[in-house]
Amino acid sequence: MILQKVKYYTREALHNLWQFKTRHFFSLTIIGLSFVIIGVFLSLSNNLRFRAGELSKNLTVVFYLHKNVTASERGLIEDEVRRSPLVGAVRAVGPEEASDKFVKDFPELKDILLNLNGSPFPASIEASLKDPGLSTEKILQFIAEVRKNASVEDVQFNRDWADKIRSLGRLAEAVGLFLGGILVLASFFIISNVIKLNVLARKSEIEILRFVGATNTFIRIPFFLEGVMLGVAGSVLSLLIVFILIKIFPFYLGSSLGALKEIVGFRYLTPAQALALVFGGGSVGFLGGLSSLARFLRI
Amino acid sequence: MIELYHVWKQYQKPHWALADVTLSVKKGEFCFITGQSGSGKTTLLKTIYREVIPTEGQIIIGGKNILRIPDHKIYSIRRHMGIVFQDFRLLFHKRVFDNVTIALRVLGAAPRDMKRKAFIALRMVNLHHKIWDYPSQLSYGEQQRVAIARAVVNNPRILLADEPTGNLDPALAHEIFGLFREINKQGTTVVICSHDKELIRRFGGRVLSLHEGKLHGKDSR
Repeated sequence: MILQKVKYYTREALHNLWQFKTRHFFSLTIIGLSFVIIGVFLSLSNNLRFRAGELSKNLTVVFYLHKNVTASERGLIEDEVRRSPLVGAVRAVGPEEASDKFVKDFPELKDILLNLNGSPFPASIEASLKDPGLSTEKILQFIAEVRKNASVEDVQFNRDWADKIRSLGRLAEAVGLFLGGILVLASFFIISNVIKLNVLARKSEIEILRFVGATNTFIRIPFFLEGVMLGVAGSVLSLLIVFILIKIFPFYLGSSLGALKEIVGFRYLTPAQALALVFGGGSVGFLGGLSSLARFLRI
Repeated sequence: MIELYHVWKQYQKPHWALADVTLSVKKGEFCFITGQSGSGKTTLLKTIYREVIPTEGQIIIGGKNILRIPDHKIYSIRRHMGIVFQDFRLLFHKRVFDNVTIALRVLGAAPRDMKRKAFIALRMVNLHHKIWDYPSQLSYGEQQRVAIARAVVNNPRILLADEPTGNLDPALAHEIFGLFREINKQGTTVVICSHDKELIRRFGGRVLSLHEGKLHGKDSR
């Protein structure tokens, strides 16, 4: 008996979706696009968090030296850095090597470098820290010690970068949820109104069902299902669009952004995020149906 | 089977659609409610299937006071009733089979059971050969016969018909009344609202006459 009813509900919901396909196609597109906004920002945030994680795994402090530093002064600083118990490996990077790295990362800007006489980059000493879990305080203490040396002009510590990138990731997520949230709210009203139209279109059928002894639940379930199906289909559509975007975006960007491409990129949504989007779609559909039926199908 | 006690219904002041109607229809009875347009026939029928709540009075169906049943439970009463309307109220986008079995679907009947019962109901109205047609492919008379099949497919205890022949010519009307007589012979209590006095006279049965909401001739057999 229950199986027969489930079959009936599903068939009725699918039949209604097909019967008013133009209306449903437009609402599906809007629901899909709303979830695409969330999906895109989540994927951007995923990438930023991933990059921040990669940076944190390999903590590096770079000491930039004055341009006119002598080889012996450089050797002294290198020794001082190496002596620190926090440091695992030390690498000295000369101005030419820095220049080569820049050309590799930003090939479009190669000509600018060629027009300059010699490398504009200072020599540096890169210190890879032993333990990625070291406290920032200890590291800053170590940096301050080395910085006392007059030959050190500037210091770059990649944990700062990692933190900044992580913040950017959080910001992207928040922007996505905010914009997506507004659009999802719009989707809710769209579903609610589409179901209201469907209820009105099936007024005579609902009346007959009441006269032959249908329960409220029996009459309402197909409409709920319609809402849920629309919501789920919209969110699945959005996942598909996000997947295609992630595939296409690198081709669109080409190599114009150089090393920045790594940061301004997308990463696939995690299974939990994808499931949450689909669940969100279903919930929006269910609530849209609920709000519509509560107002327009009082039996 | 159907008992109404001092039923009053007012839609708008000062006119009473039903005024102190008290009647009793016994199980298996064949009963007509007659009267001119606006006399309250449809309102009376609607109070029996509780589409309309009386302003005052009590309505007992099968021993239950239907006015005490909450709205969401009224289906339990309607499942024992078959209702036939003047305008047939068929679903034109569904086949005859789906129209007839709608009352079985709400009960979650198995497909085989639905087919068997739909066939029996349609054979009774002599439309079993049109089970897979759409209502738009049928004549008015046939459409009303489909509506009757829908009303009786569930073997209801009570069959209510509101001007079932209002849109049909005399020959078809005669045929439809004949069907109601057949259904009644099988034990179903039948209450028909009609203003066609000639047909009522020809088919016999108990006649209740309404005039301006008041019942006259409580047993004019």
